[in-house]
Amino acid sequence: MDPVALAVLEARLSAIVAEMGEALLRTAYSQILNSSRDFSIAVTDAEARLVAQADHIPVHVGAMPFAARAVLDAFPGAIGEGDVFLLNDPWHGGSHLPDLTIVLPVFAEGELRFLSVVRAHQSDIGGATHGGYNPAATEIWQEGLRIPPIRLGENFSVRPDLLAMLALNTRIARDFEGDLMAMVGAARLGEKRLSSLLVQHGAAVLMQGVAEILDLSERHARRIVSAWPDGTWHGVALLDDDGHGREDIAIRASCTKQGETLTIDLSASDDQVLGFVNSSRPNAHSAACMAFAYLLDPEVAKNDGAFRALRVVMREGSVVQAREGAAVTLCTSHCSNEIVEAVMRAMQHAIPERVTGGWGRRFRIAITGRDARRPERRFVWHLFHARPGGGGHARGDGWDTAGEWHSAGGLKFGSVEMAEARFPLHFRRHEFRPGSAGRGTHRGGLGAELELILRSEGEAIANTAGDGARHGSAGIAGGADSAPHDYALLRQDGTRRALRTKESGIAIQPGEVIHVRSAGGGGWGPPEAREPALIARDREEGVVP
Amino acid sequence: MRWVIGVDVGGTFTDVVGIAPDGQELLAKAATTPGDQGEGVVRGLANLAAAAHLTLAELLEQTERIVHGTTVATNALLERRGARAAMLTTEGHRDIIAMREGLKPERYDLRLPPPEPLIPRHLRIPVRERLRPDGSAEIALDPSSLAAAIRRLRAAEVEAVAVCFLHSWRDDRHERIAAAALREALPGVFITTSSEVLPRIKEYERFSTTVANAYVGPIVSRYLSGLEGRLHAAGYHGPVLVILSHGGVAPIAEAARLAAATALSGPAGGVAAAVELARRGLGQDLVTFDMGGTSTDIALVQQGGATIGQGSEIGGARIALESLEIVTLGAGGGSIAHAGAGGMLQAGPRSAGARPGPACYGAGGTAATVTDANLVLGYLDAGNFLGGARRLDLAAAREAVAEVATRFGLGLEEAALGIHALVNARMADGVRVATVRRGVDPRGSSLLAFGGAAGLHATAVARDLGMARVAVPILAAGLSAWGMLRTELRVAASRSVLSARSMPEDGEIAALLAALEAEAQNRLAAWLDGEVAVSRSAEMRYGEQVFEIDVALDGVAPTAEALREAYHARHRALFTYALPGEEVVLVGARVTASARLPAAEPPLLTPSGAGPAAWRGILLPGGAVEAPVWPLDAISVEEPVQGPALLESATTTVLLRKGDSARLDPRGWVEISLG
Repeated sequence: MDPVALAVLEARLSAIVAEMGEALLRTAYSQILNSSRDFSIAVTDAEARLVAQADHIPVHVGAMPFAARAVLDAFPGAIGEGDVFLLNDPWHGGSHLPDLTIVLPVFAEGELRFLSVVRAHQSDIGGATHGGYNPAATEIWQEGLRIPPIRLGENFSVRPDLLAMLALNTRIARDFEGDLMAMVGAARLGEKRLSSLLVQHGAAVLMQGVAEILDLSERHARRIVSAWPDGTWHGVALLDDDGHGREDIAIRASCTKQGETLTIDLSASDDQVLGFVNSSRPNAHSAACMAFAYLLDPEVAKNDGAFRALRVVMREGSVVQAREGAAVTLCTSHCSNEIVEAVMRAMQHAIPERVTGGWGRRFRIAITGRDARRPERRFVWHLFHARPGGGGHARGDGWDTAGEWHSAGGLKFGSVEMAEARFPLHFRRHEFRPGSAGRGTHRGGLGAELELILRSEGEAIANTAGDGARHGSAGIAGGADSAPHDYALLRQDGTRRALRTKESGIAIQPGEVIHVRSAGGGGWGPPEAREPALIARDREEGVVP
Repeated sequence: MRWVIGVDVGGTFTDVVGIAPDGQELLAKAATTPGDQGEGVVRGLANLAAAAHLTLAELLEQTERIVHGTTVATNALLERRGARAAMLTTEGHRDIIAMREGLKPERYDLRLPPPEPLIPRHLRIPVRERLRPDGSAEIALDPSSLAAAIRRLRAAEVEAVAVCFLHSWRDDRHERIAAAALREALPGVFITTSSEVLPRIKEYERFSTTVANAYVGPIVSRYLSGLEGRLHAAGYHGPVLVILSHGGVAPIAEAARLAAATALSGPAGGVAAAVELARRGLGQDLVTFDMGGTSTDIALVQQGGATIGQGSEIGGARIALESLEIVTLGAGGGSIAHAGAGGMLQAGPRSAGARPGPACYGAGGTAATVTDANLVLGYLDAGNFLGGARRLDLAAAREAVAEVATRFGLGLEEAALGIHALVNARMADGVRVATVRRGVDPRGSSLLAFGGAAGLHATAVARDLGMARVAVPILAAGLSAWGMLRTELRVAASRSVLSARSMPEDGEIAALLAALEAEAQNRLAAWLDGEVAVSRSAEMRYGEQVFEIDVALDGVAPTAEALREAYHARHRALFTYALPGEEVVLVGARVTASARLPAAEPPLLTPSGAGPAAWRGILLPGGAVEAPVWPLDAISVEEPVQGPALLESATTTVLLRKGDSARLDPRGWVEISLG
């Protein structure tokens, strides 16, 4: 293909995955998808190579090909047009159980050409606790329903008996079914768009064009990497704990840049632990890809070609690549964030102008109970509000309340009005948290302060799942760490009960207040070098004490 | 029939197009007056009157309508020169516009600097009040808190206040009370409420749009009322309509009230013109290329229609109102050539604007602009610019370009060719953003070139993109103003449905739609009589979804069953599936009444039959050539003019390069094929 046709094709593929994402956003049932966008979309070729990926949740960027590969391996020679595949198991192409992945094959001229892949985080996936995260789990069977690659249906439809069986294993069957249908719909939309693209160009010409796009991205990435100094650098990031008494679990990254390639070696990380902060291999690989993508220029297309300039090394039995059977549900947040942090702490010595201060850690709460306005059904609500700040960087201060490394502004907390209309919640306060940002030449973004009053019909139950109540967001290149998270429950009797990052079964009475003070982002560069005008502005705006 | 007049204020020129009672179209220009655009508007109208052999008073006396496009709001947003605005908001929630729901654009650009909100934090003032989602009060509006806020506003000497309370989409009473108190306490201050601007759930979109409205409101309303006063003084007493970001028009009072809806008013006229030309047979797929003195606007017409999105972001401000999708580049004929950050030759984004203008205008400008380079290359006629209305100073242009040449160690002509080529490349990149980046192959479309400066660059830009066809309307220099006369007046009446049931009964649905239709018809009738088209739609969703789909109800009976069926069908068409067993919720209904602005059809053109008016030495990348200069209206319908050649009218010049061939289409444009 000529250069213009290639550019059009690349943009067309991006437009297709973007349209699929838009469709999923608009049709999904659960708040976690339709308000907070916790999903990702990808297209791979018939070899499971990543061809295009929508800019949704970066921690999925390198993980989707594992799902495509798992389907190809599970059904060799038995994949037909119209088949709908589903999986979630971390040792069978998934990252963690709450993320379901739908894979739809795309055929042209009788051959498999693409896989249309939709991954979305479910509001509930069964298991011992509501909301998908079980901080008490010590093995994966306590975390939810495991699904290896299965053929969920044929002729672009879903087998009702299978769907019913899956839904029966989750707590909010109606949301689960609605979300799964939305996922299949989005994947089908991609299949339709890709099919017409194949017809328009002819399969041979199109697939040749795709191969050229991947090669161009590879050259683009390698050109950038080659300009970095050669050498090896080390970085360490510490997790608060595993929820079972183990503290300061270390993720160690050794980054070696030679010529046009960067190698990220995570094998010196601590051994796997008891709790759910362990990672599956696809997730750890993807976290390394995400760190690499953050270091490249943003224009580089995130596809298989670009990631050829990266080598990832890890060790089975370590916290980043736990053995089959370990508890791993928190891994898309933690230890993903710490993998990125360790890489950034290493690379600040090589390319400080490309490394940003730390983005916040994830600290989620999932609440279940009943709403007097709709007593017939139970709700599960996930906390996305009060996001932490983004890191400061060479070009300026960090983004306020933009979130964590794993999503980098891609998760939305959604509308307060919508949350109050649909859940028995009252947001008494939701504002910036002054003083939360890490200091620096360019300070981190601000975290938030939230006072959330629960108005459920009777008692509600909350689980927490997160990290960062002991460790703030990393300061980089001389910048300071941010304040850590500070979560508490304000009881009706006036007492304050601190919330730990990994707790389950917390009873909350109607009228009690969840008080969240989230971390800011890490600072970049020495604070002494901050411009006086910026210091004065921060004072006037009341965002520093 | 009487005169109708379109007025488009660009960065450099104010274009005025008049359609005479007999259908004849006349174009006049005046220099834009940046201090008060109204001055230039009246001067342009006077020039139009002169062209029609009338006095200004006579022309205005015989005019039934003036339609106006303005860049006042756009410039205020882009240059961050809006009003000193403040926000009154629900206590405990003052950072909503800065939090952006936690969403950041450009996922992998972590070093993107965050945008500054239009209203800084210390002017986001909390008021003690709080509604619940059902409209009941959690905390009634506290008068002492409101009074304290007003004291702070007075001390801060603000020019505008946005009143943004949570759940005002459901019940506007707190906002209304606060607005009334503000109007009384702060006379002359522009007050706007979120329940008026965008009465919809989702506070970030509603508040940011309202804040943008406060930010541009005082400037826009001051400008529009000043303009109205000037027109009054000049003898005009008819209606002035303003073209809005979605391409429809509204009366001046409405545009002042909803000033944020004028954010893309300027370029909207060009898109309206393109849609009209598509209707006349120019082609169904067009890329508009509107190159003026300061900026260039690029938009798509696909299958004969403009692309309208659910909002725009201008200068980092989110405005969630219907809006045309337009790409704007900060480069045009007035862009200044200079050494960029990397030491390379660059054209723009700095512009010489209307004052002082390019060096060759002799109005005090000394920096070399794209127009100066074009003059040095012989593409423009120093003695006959704008039909002789302005003389260009060739010596000044050469001196300015020579300075650039010296700095880069180039010859004079080399430097001029370089500047010309550079701006061509930037323009082609702009077209790529509007087409290729959206996955649209521009090669299937025609490049519709208009705006004073486009003709000299269009065929080079098209060739760069592999486009085979360029069209230059005869009225190229005033096409945006012309388009405003060909658009429609549109009024939408909408209402949220707050029924206890997910779907009201048949009778309620029919009554709702009938009431909305009557409301829309009445509002439209107040502005215009004539044939009205009505379209009805319903916003619906499945029970647990949060995004509604606006489903067209044309041909759908106003019954619950028919609405449900229409929703399933639309859902299937958009998203490949439907869930027939699920409950369908009716969230809102909307009726739009629209009427085409009446304007006489222009007569078909007949070429004058004359040959080239002159020959001029011009410099092309291949070397110097003698090129024929054809009057635009002399080109034949059958016998194409072959490039290199120049086509000139009183308001624009088109450069044909080698391989280009041009012929006249009697419906009103020059058609250029690229060999």
